[in-house]
Formats: sequence, C-alpha cells, structure tokens
Amino acid sequence: TGINAEYMGIQSIKRMLKMLGSKFSRGIIQNFLRTTTGRCFSHGPPPLQMDFSEKVNTNEIKLKDPTKMKKMNICQAVNNALDIALASDSNTFVFGEDVKFGGVFRCTVGLNEKHGTDRVFNTPLSEQGIIGFSVGLAAAGGIPIPEIQFSDYIFPAFDQFVNEAAKYRYRTNGQFHAGGITCRASYGAVGHGGHYHSQAPEASFMHAAGLSIVIPRNPIQTKGLLLSSIRTPDPIIFFEPKILYRMSEDMVPEEDYTIPIGKAEVLQEGKDITLLGYGASIRQLKMAAKMGEEKGISSEIIDLRTILPYDIETIEKSVKKTGRLLITHEGPVTSGVGAEISAKVQERCFLHMHAPIKRVCGYDTPFPFVYEPFYLPNRFKLFDAMLELMEFQIQNHLTIHSYPVSYTHLTLPTSDLVQISVVAVSLKKK
Amino acid sequence: MCIRDRINAEYMGILYLITNMLRVARNTILSMLKSQARSVTWKNMDTYYKYDFTNKMDFIDHKMRFPVFRTMDLEGKVENPAYEIANKETLMKILDIMVTHREMDKVYLSLHRQGRITFYMTTLFEEAIGPAIAAALKKDDLAVMQYREQGFLMHRGYNTLELLHTYKGTNKDNTLGRALVYHQAHRERCILPGSAPIGSKIPHGAGAGYALRVKGEDKIAVAFFGEGSASQGDFHAGVNFAATLGAQTLFVCRTNGYAISTSMEEQYAGDGIAPRGIGYGIPALKVDGCDPLALYYATVQARKMIMERKGPVLLETMSYRGGDHSTSDSSGAYRTKEVIAKHKAYTDQLGDPIIRLGKYMQHKGWLDNATDYVTKLGESVRAGCLENAKEVDATPFPHWKKMLVDIYNEEPWHIKEQQEELEAHLKKHPECYPLDSFKQWSSSIQRIHNIQK
Repeated sequence: TGINAEYMGIQSIKRMLKMLGSKFSRGIIQNFLRTTTGRCFSHGPPPLQMDFSEKVNTNEIKLKDPTKMKKMNICQAVNNALDIALASDSNTFVFGEDVKFGGVFRCTVGLNEKHGTDRVFNTPLSEQGIIGFSVGLAAAGGIPIPEIQFSDYIFPAFDQFVNEAAKYRYRTNGQFHAGGITCRASYGAVGHGGHYHSQAPEASFMHAAGLSIVIPRNPIQTKGLLLSSIRTPDPIIFFEPKILYRMSEDMVPEEDYTIPIGKAEVLQEGKDITLLGYGASIRQLKMAAKMGEEKGISSEIIDLRTILPYDIETIEKSVKKTGRLLITHEGPVTSGVGAEISAKVQERCFLHMHAPIKRVCGYDTPFPFVYEPFYLPNRFKLFDAMLELMEFQIQNHLTIHSYPVSYTHLTLPTSDLVQISVVAVSLKKK
Repeated sequence: MCIRDRINAEYMGILYLITNMLRVARNTILSMLKSQARSVTWKNMDTYYKYDFTNKMDFIDHKMRFPVFRTMDLEGKVENPAYEIANKETLMKILDIMVTHREMDKVYLSLHRQGRITFYMTTLFEEAIGPAIAAALKKDDLAVMQYREQGFLMHRGYNTLELLHTYKGTNKDNTLGRALVYHQAHRERCILPGSAPIGSKIPHGAGAGYALRVKGEDKIAVAFFGEGSASQGDFHAGVNFAATLGAQTLFVCRTNGYAISTSMEEQYAGDGIAPRGIGYGIPALKVDGCDPLALYYATVQARKMIMERKGPVLLETMSYRGGDHSTSDSSGAYRTKEVIAKHKAYTDQLGDPIIRLGKYMQHKGWLDNATDYVTKLGESVRAGCLENAKEVDATPFPHWKKMLVDIYNEEPWHIKEQQEELEAHLKKHPECYPLDSFKQWSSSIQRIHNIQK
C-alpha cells in the first residue's frame, strides 16, 4: 500500500543519512516526517523534549561494581536478565512462541545458542499449552520463564493462570507451588496496534488471589524486577511495555542485581498532588508534571511497579501529605487497577483528601486502531485533571442539609478541615 | 616505541588473536553439542520435508478401528503366557485395593446420604485402572489425577482412613480442607494436586515430563483424564507439547462411556482417544480397563517405551462407569432402563474386574476360593470404614486461620489486613460461626516451607 511504501522509503533514507554520519540527520528526518508524512505518522503533537533516562537509585540497588554499565534498551535489558538467570540456575527454562531465533521483539537473541535447545526453545502455538506446560514444569521443580508474545493473546491461558498457577500453593498446603513461573508478556499501546496488539489486561489478573503482577518503566527497572521475579517463589506475570522496548534507554549495570517486588518508587517529591502510574504512563506523568510545574503545581510522582500486591504504604504516605491523587493507566477505567487503588486509598486517607481521587485511563472500548491519539491517557488529559483537582474547593460543593449532621471521626490534622467543621457546625445550629 | 617493544606488541596481538579464535571455536562446538543434547529419536525429518506424491486422489477416510488389548478373558483365562509378568504379590495388592475401594465406595456413599460428608464419587467397575497402573510405575513417578483414580492413591499409600479425612477436609487432611474433595496432593508420594476444571491437568503432565527428561531422571509423569476431558483444548495442547518437545509423560484416558450425562457418541466422532495418537506422532494403545493384568503389562511396556524414546505414550483404557457421576448426579435421569438394556452387550463384554482377577488368581492357585476371599476382605473393610466414619466425625476441622495463609509465599499486607479484620469480627460475634470445629491446630500436618527455590 501507499503508506507502507512511504514508510519503507523513509526507513531507507534514515539509513542512508545514518551512514553519511550527518550531524544534522535527526533534524532532517524530523522535518521530513513532519512535512510529508503527517497523515500517517502524526499521533498527536510531537512529545515534549524531555530526557527520560534515569540513573540507578543507589538507595534501592546496591551494586558491587558501579562502574560497569552498558547502554541498554528494555529489549537488551530483558535479554541480559534472562542470560544471567539461565547462567546462574540450571533449573531455568525460557520458552514460548518464536523464542529460539530471538523472539519477535528480539528479547531472547543469542540465548538458544548459549544455553541449548533443551532450555531455550520454541513451543507449539498454544498459549494455554505454554502456561499449562509451565505449571507442570514448576511443579516438577523447574523455573519456567514462558513468554506470551502479546498480552492480548494471554486469555486462552487465563484458566491456567487463575485456576491452576494462582491456587497451586493454597490447595496443596504449601507442598507444591507454581511459584517458579515468571511469565513475560509484551503489553500496552504501541502506536498502531489496534485491538489485538495493544491491550493492557493486568486488571483481569489482579482479581486472582495468588498471582503477582509486575510492570517496569525503563531498562534499569526491567532488569532488576525481572531477576527479582524469577527468584520469587510466587507465580508472576511480568508485563513489558512494548512501545518502550527500544524507545527507553538507560545506562544499566551489567552485574546481577535485583529490585524488591511489592515496593513502589517515588520518582520525584512534591507537596500538592500525587501522580500514580506505571509502565509507559510514567513518561506521560513526567511530562504532565513538568507542565504543572510551570503553573506552580508541585507534583509527587509514584511508579507503582508491582500491581499486585501493590505498595499501599508509599501511596498512603504520599496522599496524606498532598491530599490529592491522580491515577493513570492505559487499560480501561472501569474496574481497572485505578479502581482498586482508589477504593483502598479512600478507605485509609478519606479525612486527608482535598479532592476526590481521579482516574485518567483508557476508555471502555476495545483498543481502537486509528483513534489511538484520542484514546490514550496523555499528558494533556493528565494536566487537565491535575488542574481540576487543584482547583477543587470543598466549600463549592457543600450542600446545606436540613437534618442534623453528626461527626464521629473528627480529627483535625489540617487547617482545611478545621474550616469545614466550623462551617458545618454553624449550619447545624441554624 | 623501540623495535623490540613493537615486536612484543605484535606477538601479544597474535597471541590474543589465537586465544580469541580458540575461545570462539570452543563456544561454537559447545553450543553445537548442546543443541544436539535433545535426542529427537522419534522425529523423522522426512515426514516434515519429504512428500510422497500420488496421481490417485483418495481422501483418507478410514473408519479407524483400534483393537482393544486384553490378556485374560471374562473367565480369567490367559492365553498368552508372555503377558503374565505380574507376580502374586503385585496382583494380590491390586485385588486387595480393588475390593477395598469397592467396599469403601459403598460405605462412604451411604455416609454422604446421611449427610456426614458433602460429596462423593464412586468408581464402580473402574477400580482396576488406578492400582494396576500404579503397580506398573515406580513409586516416584509424578502422577496428576482427575478424580476417579483413588485406587492409584491407595496403591501409593493412602488408606481408607486418610482418604476419608481428605473427603471431609478435617485437620488431618494434608491439604487442610482447602480444596474440594479428590484434589489430593502429596509430596512424598509424588501426587500432584488435582483440580476441578476438566483437562487443565494434561499440560501439567507434559511440563512435568519435560522437566524429568531434561534433568535426565529415571522417572515419568502420568496424567489421567477421561474421554470428556480429551475434548478440551488443554488435551490437544498438552499432548502436542509433550510429543513435540519430548516429555516423559504417560497419558492415560479412562474412557468409561459417560461425561456426566454426555455419552461417547455425543463426545467425539472418531474411534476414541487412542487413534488421536497417530495425529500427534506418538504410540497409542487401547487396553481393556477391566483387565488388571493387561493394564499392568501395557503400562510396563509403555514406561519402557517412554524412557527409550524420551517421548510420550497415549493409553486409552476401556471401561464402564457403573455408578453415578457423583453424589450430585442421579444417572437414572439419562441412563434409563432402556439405555441399560441397550448397553448390556457393551457392559457384558467388559465384565467385572474383581471377578476376573479373582478367577485368574484361582486358576493360578494363588487363591483357594476367590469369592470367599473377596467377601471376607469386603466385610473387614466395611467394618474398618464404619470405624473410620466415627473417628472422622470426631475429628475437628483445621483452624479457621488456615484459610488465609499459603496464598503467597509470604503473606502480603492486604491478606494480613483481612486476617486481622476476620479475627476482630469473630471476637465480636463468636456465636455466629462454628468456631468450636475450626479452632484446632493440627500438630501432624504442618506447612512445608519453601521446598523448591
């Protein structure tokens, strides 16, 4: 088709320019793209020029040799982590569809040559088979690391996850467990994925007691969290944001390190509003926070990292400080991850809230193809929501009741609350 | 740099190059050897890549008929002495277990009718399959079961008392009453846990068998299922994975005529489950499920084949489900007198495994009077089961706190919170809950911590 030909043409020009080593090639390419291919490549306005690369958080990651770092993207970080896992434990197996030649996302390149076909192999095309096989492997003492090519195809394996893997330890009183399983699946929007290459199904699995879900945001986190997941004796689904496979690059330590499962990370401190997200949404949150800074909003960004069991302590501490919470994820808003966290946070922080908890998530539609720029929770929607929460004044929303209102939980930690109670008491007297 | 340094540098350079080349060569050879580690002896590459062309178009539509292997006829006479590899001890144990199982079924079924247990499934006429196959396998072959193979468990060491504890879910049940009955799991006896979703165990058998092959262990995995389970997607996935990747797994399909009320002709259109083995490229056999000697012989051969080929084998045992599917089923609704009369020829050709084995033992001179022996054994089993019933009735359930542990390796905060919530609620309303039956910590059954990884 015409679009494909254009794309191929652009790729070849990019390659030519790279070969020429032109310093100005990036600018030339961007201009070219903007002028000639606006109709097929404009997914909204160009992103804010921001550097998303991060340094290693030394509070969390204790490195033996901090000088040995290598620039890796998420793909390479996954490859590195799997290599380390396969080398350090002869009981590990990496398998899935097309894993042997390197994987469709090139995450398993070189592993079969290095560790052999008994441990790194292709399976027949059956997700229920892949996960069922993994459960059996784990029960026999192995540590399987299956791959589901796209998380949209994980549903045939839903029964094996929810009914078998999640319940294995419980129903055997700890005699056996399927905890060796760490299932990797590529997840999330990719720009042109449509219904079946963009889904974010983590909320469906959050409902299965016994499973854990981990979603990293950049290569440093990916490597640490993946190694940690492989070594945790609980069945874990590790969703990798596919759009960040190549886009997200960091200087990643070459050694073996882990990041604790079940802990969220505070990326930047703030005092006005807490922004909570995970995976690719962190980039949108960072951009929205920058936009908010210009308006004088000091945001605290939290990366949830482990969706189940999630780190309520960090969120609670932050929300009690700021009083406002904005949750974002790509999956649909109804019964999404944000719904569960909202319910828990309002249980614990109700009296500290300055505004209701807001979720900016995908809509309740199947993930659309060309409408993706309208569907995803981007920095504009997030920024609008931030302003809404900041401008929320409780007295604008109070209605005068004709029946006496009693307060049994009055604790007065903030000045706002004192104001409310004074107003309410005066109403009652009337 | 002076000339000497330059020559030194060159030598170092050449040395480095040579060691590098040697390293690369070593890695290549090692990886070549590793990729040949899987001895794919059963896979003939010609079947994939070399075609036999023909000018004659002939849709292959065989009315496939696998014969059913049996060693003894209905009177217990064995024609071919080559099949008599089971000795007296083995067969006595199988007979004992079959009789015990049948008597136990009668007693425990009546316990259900009295409301003392909540659920039960009988195994009438299928009693031979479990113990005969267990006898032919080794003690540490991993087994994953469906639900009508309690005889297998008995051969592995469960007695009728232990089984009743699992049916009731008391604190002497080693899964602490967490799952429904028939979902037994036992680490020492190499019994992987069962679960109700039909067919989901079959890929587990494939995975376990694969792990055993790669580790080079002299063990196999055996996965039991029924002809209804073989319609599930998991059957196809499991058998295909085992066949393609090479798993030391024995798949045993207990074809017994019914999947609750769905008869065989409503379940599949082919010649049953064994012929599907041809499609998966694995050896398959139909064996008489009411003939313990044939089951034993076939399983011994199957195990040998599995260890030689490093690949799976499919066994289909032909038997008949004599009782209801379970205590929640009343098969009179679909298995009317007319249906039973229509199937008389079908059931008559299979007979009763206890009678057949008893007659065989009599022919061999190992039993004087099979009927007497069976009756006497039956009486003692019956008395024992009634005693068990009394004992189990008096055994309390596990402590209610055991409901909220073992979901994860270490309990996360939200489960701890729920534990505290429930504890506080129970303190406030103790009279609303049967706390007296659920307050005993079992001293014998403890959680086994972190046995793997």
